[in-house]
Amino acid sequence: MFPKAALYVGGRLIGAAITVLVGAIAVYVVMKAAPGDPALAVLGENARPEAVAAFRLKHHLDQPFWSQLAIWLGGLARGDFGLSLTIAGGIPISELIAARLPVTVFVGLYAVAIAVLISLAMGTVAALRRGRALDTIATSVAVLGISMPDFWLSYMLVFAFALGWRLFPAYGFTSPVDSVAQAIYSGFLPALAIAAPMAAVFARMLRTSLLETASREYVVAARSFGFSPGFVFRHYVFRNALIPYLTIIGLQIRYLLGGVVVIERIFGIQGMGSLMVDAAFARDYPTVLACTVVFLGIVLLVNVVVDLVCVALDPRRST
Amino acid sequence: MTARRQRYRRLARTFLANPTAVTGAGITLVVLLAAGLGAALMPYGPGEADFFNLLSPPSWLHPFGTDSFGRDVLTRVMYGARVSLVISAAGVAMAAVLGGAAGMVSAYEGGYADLVIMRVADLLFAFPAFVLALFLMVVLGYGSANVSVAIALTYLPIFARLARNMTLLVRAEPYVEAARLMAQSTPRILLREILPNIAAPLIVQATIGIAFGIIIEAGLSFLGIGVQPPTPSLGVIMADGREYFQRGPWVLSLTGLAISVALLGLNLLGDGLRDLMDPRLRKSAAQ
Repeated sequence: MFPKAALYVGGRLIGAAITVLVGAIAVYVVMKAAPGDPALAVLGENARPEAVAAFRLKHHLDQPFWSQLAIWLGGLARGDFGLSLTIAGGIPISELIAARLPVTVFVGLYAVAIAVLISLAMGTVAALRRGRALDTIATSVAVLGISMPDFWLSYMLVFAFALGWRLFPAYGFTSPVDSVAQAIYSGFLPALAIAAPMAAVFARMLRTSLLETASREYVVAARSFGFSPGFVFRHYVFRNALIPYLTIIGLQIRYLLGGVVVIERIFGIQGMGSLMVDAAFARDYPTVLACTVVFLGIVLLVNVVVDLVCVALDPRRST
Repeated sequence: MTARRQRYRRLARTFLANPTAVTGAGITLVVLLAAGLGAALMPYGPGEADFFNLLSPPSWLHPFGTDSFGRDVLTRVMYGARVSLVISAAGVAMAAVLGGAAGMVSAYEGGYADLVIMRVADLLFAFPAFVLALFLMVVLGYGSANVSVAIALTYLPIFARLARNMTLLVRAEPYVEAARLMAQSTPRILLREILPNIAAPLIVQATIGIAFGIIIEAGLSFLGIGVQPPTPSLGVIMADGREYFQRGPWVLSLTGLAISVALLGLNLLGDGLRDLMDPRLRKSAAQ
């Protein structure tokens, strides 16, 4: 059993690695096709020719396209994204990312945790009270949650909880590296803003999935054995309904990370998202490129993990 | 002819019996009217400054208040809604045409075409949507048209997958077989036989897609790398309101509220239409 499982995990990881590689090449080619000379963007239009030549030499811009790509990919394999151009002139991008990635991972996981808690409660209540008032309320709140732009929601949360009731800070974030308790406290509003639309999507998925599972034949059979409704729900319905629920969490990661980008910036969180936006403003092409690839890697990694959890819940899926 | 009329009548009755779809259609209609005609009916212009009325809170004269230039926020929101809707709809239309065509060809031709097209769609789908849009804005440059392109590319894989799945379902139907036996050309079969039969789910997806596009536009413009001022898109108005959020919270709050209402309408409409098309749900509704 074990080697088969290891083979499956290995296969999934290799697949994800290939996708990152192809994705990295694609964004690199697209970025290079963009108009504009990075040397002039950094040094200014009136830069001395010697300075431009030195810059091009340092960043391998004097070499043909294919060897530039090879150098970049070679660095990527070693976790080296090259040097940042404008936002932190000359500092290796990998150092910037190493400092900011833990922050984004923390905020992202925090948001997922909140979304899971809210959606488990909302989705289960809606499914158990199908067609009643509580179901209608939960379902309406969910549609509302999907319809609110997350960055607007974060301002509304700041307005109420930070400026109004002064429960949470309106701006700033303590890194979990410094203090986990402070990070949980200062990260609550941003995490909630990122979590809200996801919680809505998760809750809808869970409701549908619970209702569908509850009408399966094995559930009817279990009921006919005389098991208590609570027992049937916990052991027959809930466990099996979790698989589509987990799958949707994996799919929603790409929207979660989008929310992270905007909301990190609103709350002044020094994470990957604000790094990418700052780099976009400064036209720091290599840093934007690196952030895009790292975000792609996160999505693929999360999906591999979700897939493995699903296989653990339902071993049929691995074959 | 009467059979067709009967079908339409039955369709209308099922639509009216679905409260989600009706509510969604109602809200969407109001939003479209406000976006289309509202700005013209208002006594103010979207760029008209009134320096005696800077940042005045909501009142009868200015239901959404005024901004830091004394411009009427409601007028700007209605005008901005038109800008945002056009940008989003253009992006979704591009995604629907390109993604739909790719998905149909992929399913109909199979083989290598299928493999290559779907791998490209998978790759596009693996990027976080907003990150991909942000990356494209850096590459293409800021501005309204490029926001549309960014929306199109982030939404394209969704249409490609949907069109592929739907085409696979109808590919073996007798009327497609018949057209093939009559030696009709592939483009003709795709457009005349397959497209009309898979159009409904694509249209539903487009409704939800326009909501998605509005959020992408608002997010990009809010950060300052989407639509550029003075063009008042919804994102631009919110970015503006963010500058003086503490002194005039109504600009950002009410603009966002207007977006939420518009998206609520589109999402409800999309949900309702999807229910209408799902035969399993239709049967249970008839019972």
